[in-house]
Amino acid sequence: MSSSLWSLTAGTQGQIQDFDPELADNYRVRLMELGFHPGEVVTCLQTPAFGSPKVFRVANSIFSLDDEVASHILITPVGSA
Amino acid sequence: MKKIILIGSPNSGKSLLFNRLTGLHQRVANYPGITVDVASGALAALPEVVLVDFPGTYSLHAISGEEQVAVNYFSEALDDPDVVQVLCLIDVTRLEKSLYFTLQVIRECERHGKHAVVIANMMDVLEKHKISMDLEGLAAEVQAPVVPVSARSGKGLDAVLEQIKYGIASGKGPASCGIVDVPDAILRGTAHKLAHKYGPKGDLLIKSQARLDSFFLHTAFGGIVFFGIMYLMFQSIFTWAAPVMDAIESLVAWAASIVVPLVPTQIAKDFLQDAIFGGVGAFLVFVPQIFVLTFVIGILEDSGYMARAALICHKPLRMFGLTGKSFIPMLSGVACAIPAIYAARSIDSPKKRLLTYIAIPLMPCSARLPVYTLLIAAFIPATTIFGGLVGLQGVAMFGVYFFGMMCGLIATSVLSRVRAEQYEDLPFVLEMPPYRLPAWQPLIRNSWNRSKHFVTKAGVIILTVTIVMWVFGYFPTMGQDLGASWLGQFGKLVEPVFAPLGLDWRYGVAIMTSFLAREVFVGTLGTMFGIENSDDNVLPLAEQIQASGMSVASGVALLVFFAIALMCVSTMAILGKESRSKTLALKLFLVYGLSAYVMAILAYNLVGFF
Repeated sequence: MSSSLWSLTAGTQGQIQDFDPELADNYRVRLMELGFHPGEVVTCLQTPAFGSPKVFRVANSIFSLDDEVASHILITPVGSA
Repeated sequence: MKKIILIGSPNSGKSLLFNRLTGLHQRVANYPGITVDVASGALAALPEVVLVDFPGTYSLHAISGEEQVAVNYFSEALDDPDVVQVLCLIDVTRLEKSLYFTLQVIRECERHGKHAVVIANMMDVLEKHKISMDLEGLAAEVQAPVVPVSARSGKGLDAVLEQIKYGIASGKGPASCGIVDVPDAILRGTAHKLAHKYGPKGDLLIKSQARLDSFFLHTAFGGIVFFGIMYLMFQSIFTWAAPVMDAIESLVAWAASIVVPLVPTQIAKDFLQDAIFGGVGAFLVFVPQIFVLTFVIGILEDSGYMARAALICHKPLRMFGLTGKSFIPMLSGVACAIPAIYAARSIDSPKKRLLTYIAIPLMPCSARLPVYTLLIAAFIPATTIFGGLVGLQGVAMFGVYFFGMMCGLIATSVLSRVRAEQYEDLPFVLEMPPYRLPAWQPLIRNSWNRSKHFVTKAGVIILTVTIVMWVFGYFPTMGQDLGASWLGQFGKLVEPVFAPLGLDWRYGVAIMTSFLAREVFVGTLGTMFGIENSDDNVLPLAEQIQASGMSVASGVALLVFFAIALMCVSTMAILGKESRSKTLALKLFLVYGLSAYVMAILAYNLVGFF
């Protein structure tokens, strides 16, 4: 079952499947440059207050992404970290 | 002159390495995107070689017009025959991301026949965690030397210098690793594979970083911690700076009491007392606040908290068309718009950065503080409400601060919807830097430089205005009749403009002079009311204002006017330079000036009505 990266809660993981076609090409490329490749497992580390951008770990880097981006990254949940 | 390019991902320690190699003092902070301009300096060990520091970028594939400019600039630099070598800095703790960019750089170097050297930074972190990585294997794979260093401790710099000397002596490109024609998509996969094969194995900083994040970004406590830190920051600006501000005030008064009696003529005495010690002394009092603010913001940046603060504020600011990255510049704007405009450099989205520039002049900066203090002291009774818990003057001060901030947010909210569409926008993606202890020495040096900049830039303007005002107010009546002076004659000419606010010509002149810098308002008014050192002791001036027959409605109108109008030549100059727009500062000056005038008339009539 596929859902978006934004749906992950703190401590859960997801494997990137694809990018939503609505996501502009240059953003998709930049996300891949930062390590968000299809196949990569991403861990959600924090979900701060006020609906703020969530914090994700990919490879050895930590990024915060807001819903405008994270909701376009399609994942399969793979359980807890 | 031979040139060497230094390039790398954001927050990889590039500026720190640049400073180490050149002995210069580029601004360094633990926040991605702190280097925006290209900086250059001669190598300390090889003065005949210039090191050029490029802004950090994640990729040579630009996703915005601005990134394209930086990328083009790099390509042009590779065509320069004086450029003999490219040092590409990688952060070994985040290898994959760095490697993709490194492969792109090596490919460009191959295409242009330049010698590339990979500098593997943050080796100290690996050593601390007793983790190793296969540098030789990586070097063989990318066909470029890989030099381990720690820019923070300076370890490994000798080996970098050896590589530079070799590059200059050989003057030829590296052995090809055969990626001249490889497209970016393939390079991304290669970087991924190389990072897994040769990179450090283990969690490195992630565990300790995650522990601290679970506190600072906690769903429930994160917001409380944020407000606590902001409260401490504002407290520190006032409490740490206050003793030094008092000392400067006393020092200026003491110097005046020594110097003024030594001067022979009355004119020179009046001039020194009113224009030099009165005008410039009042302005110097604000320097400690600038120092403390720069210092505290520096601590927040260096420690890594700034990125967390940007994250927490993102959603609320997004409602007003801004981004979490606008938070720091806007916060700095409460002290002074100038460092705030500089701070806006780290906003990557051109649209959001423009909107932040628009909001900054409306933030209640410290130059407005003397004006607000004076007017509130003159018109709001020093009584308390709610059984002595809340002071009325404090409420008024909070009200006028809040009013200014809301005006800024409303302006960006409207403009983001109607005018800023033609500007490029980028989504919110922010790398979370690791938490680190601040490097104190550069922090103090930077705060000192910022204070010095404030004194030299704004000081010259304030000194000039004060002298001119004094001369025009003093002659030709020799200080006997202000109304008949040149200043008085001019004031009466412009009086009709200020009549709708219920203000007489003296206030008109004070407002007009304060368009150069807001603090000048108090000084000019003080000079005109004939009170010495009016800035140092605002209460008597407040009493003079009450006695001058000004109404409460006019007082409120003035507060509203000062909250909105862009009255600062330095801000306009820096805004023009930083936004690279010839017209933005002028447009803001006109729009905010007119809005301030109209809103002040409205406020005057509204208060008068009740």
